[in-house]
Amino acid sequence: MAILTKEQAKQIIDKVLSYAKADETEVSIFGGRTGNIRYARNSVSTSGETNEIGLNVTSVFGKKSGSSSINELDDESLQKAVARAEEIAQLAPENPEYMPMLGPQEYLESKTFVSATDQIDPEQRAQIAADSIGPSSEANLTAAGYLEDFSGFVAQGNSKGLFGYNKRTSVDFSITVRTADGTGSGYAIRDYNDINLLNSKDVTNIAMQKAQASQNAQAIEPGKYTVILEPTAAGNLMGLLTGSLDARGADEGRSFLSKKGGGTRLGEKLFDERVNIYSDPLNPQIPASPWDNEGFPQKPMTWVENGVVKNMFYSRYWAEKQGVQPTGRPSGMIIAGGDQSIADMVKSTERGILVTRFWYIRAVDPQTLLYTGLTRDGTFYIENGQIKFPVKNFRFNESPIIMLNNIEALGQQQRVGGDLIPAMKIRDFTFTSLSDAV
Amino acid sequence: MPFFFTRIKYNSGNWDTDQRMPINLLNSLVEYTTIPVDEKEKVVELSSKEIFKSPFCYISGHKLVEFSSAERQNFKTYVENGGFVFADDCNHDIDGLFAKSFEAEMAKTFGENALQKIPNTHPIYSSFFEFEDGPPATSFELNGWGDDLIHDYLKAIVINGRIGVLYSNKDYGCEWDYDFRNKRFLKVDNTKFGVNIVVYALTH
Repeated sequence: MAILTKEQAKQIIDKVLSYAKADETEVSIFGGRTGNIRYARNSVSTSGETNEIGLNVTSVFGKKSGSSSINELDDESLQKAVARAEEIAQLAPENPEYMPMLGPQEYLESKTFVSATDQIDPEQRAQIAADSIGPSSEANLTAAGYLEDFSGFVAQGNSKGLFGYNKRTSVDFSITVRTADGTGSGYAIRDYNDINLLNSKDVTNIAMQKAQASQNAQAIEPGKYTVILEPTAAGNLMGLLTGSLDARGADEGRSFLSKKGGGTRLGEKLFDERVNIYSDPLNPQIPASPWDNEGFPQKPMTWVENGVVKNMFYSRYWAEKQGVQPTGRPSGMIIAGGDQSIADMVKSTERGILVTRFWYIRAVDPQTLLYTGLTRDGTFYIENGQIKFPVKNFRFNESPIIMLNNIEALGQQQRVGGDLIPAMKIRDFTFTSLSDAV
Repeated sequence: MPFFFTRIKYNSGNWDTDQRMPINLLNSLVEYTTIPVDEKEKVVELSSKEIFKSPFCYISGHKLVEFSSAERQNFKTYVENGGFVFADDCNHDIDGLFAKSFEAEMAKTFGENALQKIPNTHPIYSSFFEFEDGPPATSFELNGWGDDLIHDYLKAIVINGRIGVLYSNKDYGCEWDYDFRNKRFLKVDNTKFGVNIVVYALTH
């Protein structure tokens, strides 16, 4: 019984609030079942399931706050948790940025829960693994994969009358396939709310094809190339951009949205006109929590329209300080795509590189969003509209802002890590050196 | 007459590199200087007399450089009569084919020891912007292919006290080969040294 109903959760929250003596008190209850299966070298190595439920209390006196967590929900334990949070709050220093808790809010109804995912059992996980291991092993390839599914809830309430309840499910699946000689590697990753959308055989097939095709990669010279980024690769870099749309960072001069000498670049056209970035907690492909970590309601928002920066994230504190409306921080970003398939993009490429994914990405300069990292698990050379041969992996030095100014084409969107990201064809992508990693 | 950028087309090897570099460099001249510019790059065959009309020439490539006798004669006359050539090795590798064959070609044209390292205090490093440490490094040589060395010098053929041929293994051409509009996202504009080269060429 890890998932409490809305009524059960509300009852417990109200009970906790009735014990509270602080100026303000906030309670959250969360719980759920997490299942997983992991395999390597074509055999399952771990599988398991955990059920947990927990409760957090935050008590506030003036601008001093303290929190405690507990995973027992009997009356005595709840009283203990409240008393401890209040004791800690009294001892804590004042937080000059403390914002009074929100009163009642209206939240959208987001379809984050899918009962098919809730009903996953160990047998189904084993089947998903078998569908992935079987074809790999028959093709004399080695698969390593991980599936994690979650079904649970979170409920949040406070002494000002706010209450929110959200049930959600999620599935994350990733697969790496290697050739027997170890010189070829392929990778694919998928995440969904609905387990019915996951076909581990198909996903594994992609990784298998990449592994076979990337055997005996050749070295070609680093430099600026036109790249075709599969959605996974594009998502690896785009998340860095969308995560940097924070207003405070911009106002304080720490971000790519800061203007030299003060001010921000809000309203400026910083990207190609085809760049449109928005968020919508109700998007059926990436349904997201209808509130953020401050309990602030999430609504559809446009962040970049036709290349122009339209909005930045404002926390409640920063919004009040700047005299604007807070926006909350969205949990799923949508980058508008086009209708080209990756095959179409390859066909129109005279000379370029197809990238499956990036990894080991590290920041070089936050103000220009310059990042470095490596390609991995399937990097291919394209010439005259055809994939010619696999190439050794590269290190890149590139900024997603520059990338979004060098768009040749945008492709179909795919869900990547809770965001919707299109495949991208980008010119002048900077590869600076080679890597011997497979 | 406005300044114009001339690219030398030669018969051996590949001359057609770094296609966005000239317009990017011209943009920098507009941004930082008052030099009037013609925004269209000119491509001139080294064997034709057209080369003598250019105040500044650029030559680059990855492959073999072996001038025909007409090309060699024009190159020599152009440089000796006060012309300026910026030669940039696209392989960013002192052992690469371009480097070896271009240096051999220069030796053949101007004499064995004509091409010499210039000191990092040379006026070309202060002709507009100040470069206290000599030639700025490029991202390619910092961790790139090349020979994994940072080339901390440039070479030149000096004639009558002024540089006639400036020679780089640093692959500035590739470093500056991007749409000039993307410069606004760089922390430091890496084409600034290109401005120095042009200003030096026009004032010496």
